[in-house]
Amino acid sequence: MMHFKMTALALAFGLALASTPAKADAMHGKGHAGAIGSPGNAAKTTRTVTITMHDNYYEPESLSIKEGETVKFVIKNAGSLVHEFSIATGAMHAAHRPEMNMMVEHGVLEPDRINWDAAKKMQATMGHGMHDEPNSKLLEPGKSAEMIWHFPNHANLEFACNVPGHYDAGMVGKIKLVH
Amino acid sequence: MKFRFMACFGLAAMALASGANAGEYNLTVDPVRIDTGTFTRDGVGFNGASPGPVLRFKEGEDVVINVTNNLSELTSIHWHGLILPFQQDGVPGISYAGIKPGETFTYRFPIVQSGTYWFHSHSPFQEPDGAYGAIVIEPKQREPFNFQREHVIVLTDSHPHRGHRIMRNLKMMPDYYNRQQRTIADFVADAEKMGFQAALADRLDWGDMRMMPNDVEDLQGFTPLINGKSTQQNWAGIFTPGERIRLRFINSSAMTYFDIRIPGLKMTVVQADGNNVQPVPVDEFRIAVAETYDVIVRPTEDKAYAIFAESVARTASVRATLAPRAGMAADVPAMRKPPLLTMADMGMAHGDHAGMNHSASSSPATHKMPDGTTMQGAAHTDHSAHGGAKPRDAFYAAGSGLVPTAAEGVKFLSYSDLRAMRPLYEHRKATREIELRLTGNMERYIWSINGIKYSQAEPIRLKYGERVRFKFVNETMMTHPMHLHGMWSILDTGKGKWDPIKHVVSVAPGTTVYMETEVDAPGEWAFHCHLAYHADSGMFRKVIVEGGPPKKQAAVSGAKGG
Repeated sequence: MMHFKMTALALAFGLALASTPAKADAMHGKGHAGAIGSPGNAAKTTRTVTITMHDNYYEPESLSIKEGETVKFVIKNAGSLVHEFSIATGAMHAAHRPEMNMMVEHGVLEPDRINWDAAKKMQATMGHGMHDEPNSKLLEPGKSAEMIWHFPNHANLEFACNVPGHYDAGMVGKIKLVH
Repeated sequence: MKFRFMACFGLAAMALASGANAGEYNLTVDPVRIDTGTFTRDGVGFNGASPGPVLRFKEGEDVVINVTNNLSELTSIHWHGLILPFQQDGVPGISYAGIKPGETFTYRFPIVQSGTYWFHSHSPFQEPDGAYGAIVIEPKQREPFNFQREHVIVLTDSHPHRGHRIMRNLKMMPDYYNRQQRTIADFVADAEKMGFQAALADRLDWGDMRMMPNDVEDLQGFTPLINGKSTQQNWAGIFTPGERIRLRFINSSAMTYFDIRIPGLKMTVVQADGNNVQPVPVDEFRIAVAETYDVIVRPTEDKAYAIFAESVARTASVRATLAPRAGMAADVPAMRKPPLLTMADMGMAHGDHAGMNHSASSSPATHKMPDGTTMQGAAHTDHSAHGGAKPRDAFYAAGSGLVPTAAEGVKFLSYSDLRAMRPLYEHRKATREIELRLTGNMERYIWSINGIKYSQAEPIRLKYGERVRFKFVNETMMTHPMHLHGMWSILDTGKGKWDPIKHVVSVAPGTTVYMETEVDAPGEWAFHCHLAYHADSGMFRKVIVEGGPPKKQAAVSGAKGG
């Protein structure tokens, strides 16, 4: 249980503290292996999509992607709060929101910054490293990141921000996979 | 938000600008009949109905509102929560003289904000008699949340008696409307539980304070309404499953706080008092008199959901319905047991302020609660909370009987959860502090500030450009929703720049609450408890803001002459 929690927490973080690269599809394997896709190969990228994160919504608000396409996302946080860009199923997003809550409770996630000291403390006391999650980027205001993602043929995916309250307020978009 | 701040300073200039973006609105103040399903009564409404229409404005618009008085007495309309020149604020005796019978007064002001607000008469007891309505202001910019549909949810506590009569009765007999009087049977039950001596001591303590543990609502016997409809009359709002719906809750009650939930749905609070807050998902929230909360809900099932509002003292409730089709009514949840005030709510648990603490010799630790537990002062944990190690809500006295808990789920909104979406003002240290003790003499139904009622009080004088820190010390056993007109109330929740921006600050018994105000609006303003009968009996002050930039001062004196 704890392991699962911390894994989900790591997913939430989407940032490298102790780097243990892991594939998102492997992390959420139970019956859904490959369901959300996997980190993409830069050479196979067909296009670049810019995602601008505002308070509390995305621009664009939804995505249309070709089945099996590899897309490079350039993600910018143009808001005044910390936001996440995470690709997963609705159920996965829901499962991982309580862990984001925990980060707020531990003072790791402040409204407009990531408190690295608190993150280190949390890592120390909870005895688990946080590792880079390829399907998720958590960005402070003004920060940018890139993500290359290889989409599956069939999946019910959403891109979402799981910072507490943001998803519920509507910071989520559908990813339509088209033939 | 930056825009708002600038717009605020640019008020005078904007008022002079030609009305390219001007909307004209007409309102009449009328005698109306109000039918609650349980009783029918005469009342006051707008455009022939109570509640009045929903006024929809746009941020940046210059509004012109013609208000015609069809009553046989003086009337007024106050635009609750709106930032505007003080002559447009609608308080008779402070902003202007009021509107005489048969006359039309034209309000003109720029809309410099967005969100959910309301309007009501500021003349004695017309608001309790039904003179209230909602204001919805569409923002210039995209909002920090997403919804496909919205409903305005206006609450009130309609009483079969007219306001003037209620005030007379309260003055004559302050517990006239308290139907939850404790009986000799309650005493016997307490004596069995706590022992005769303890039960007797408890009764003597309460008697000493001239209060009762069930003095949570001093006006009972009302029928709560949502959008003018009681439970039987069932106001219903439509949704399509899967939609995000914005519900704009407004508590237009004269006297009643409500606990609100929608069984089966989480509500994400996105605005408080018209200002965006960082979204907080909750199971339930308490709305003070005159507050507004906007929440987002997402019903996914094809069924009727209840919007259920229980008065805090659980003397009455109202159910409205959210339904996928017309003609549906959600089940009515059972009302919970009424809370009992504790010694903590009497200010007895704190040595740090005088409170109603007549018996100075008694140590707080010796006080027995009505439920048999012993007060341990500030360290006392919230015994009403199930689930153990929940942090105490700092906006209730330690050991308070009023601490809310969610009926379903776990999360009950606290003021501590409210964080401004974007700070409206640069955070800075207050330039001075003003202490306002909320005081009262329950026996004579006199409510006051610093022991002085409005008619005998000097105005509070503020200087333009100050940041004033108001310290509310509630020395009464009732909760007071304090409302400052014309300027924002920055509620101190200890979060610095994220402290939420409100227009009503609820101060629970036995607590000290701070709010800060950037004094940026010259003129004369009202500052009062928003419980209608408390405001009328003296818990009220005039605030005078002196000085200010020449432009603003010119606007003030110029408009005064016109």
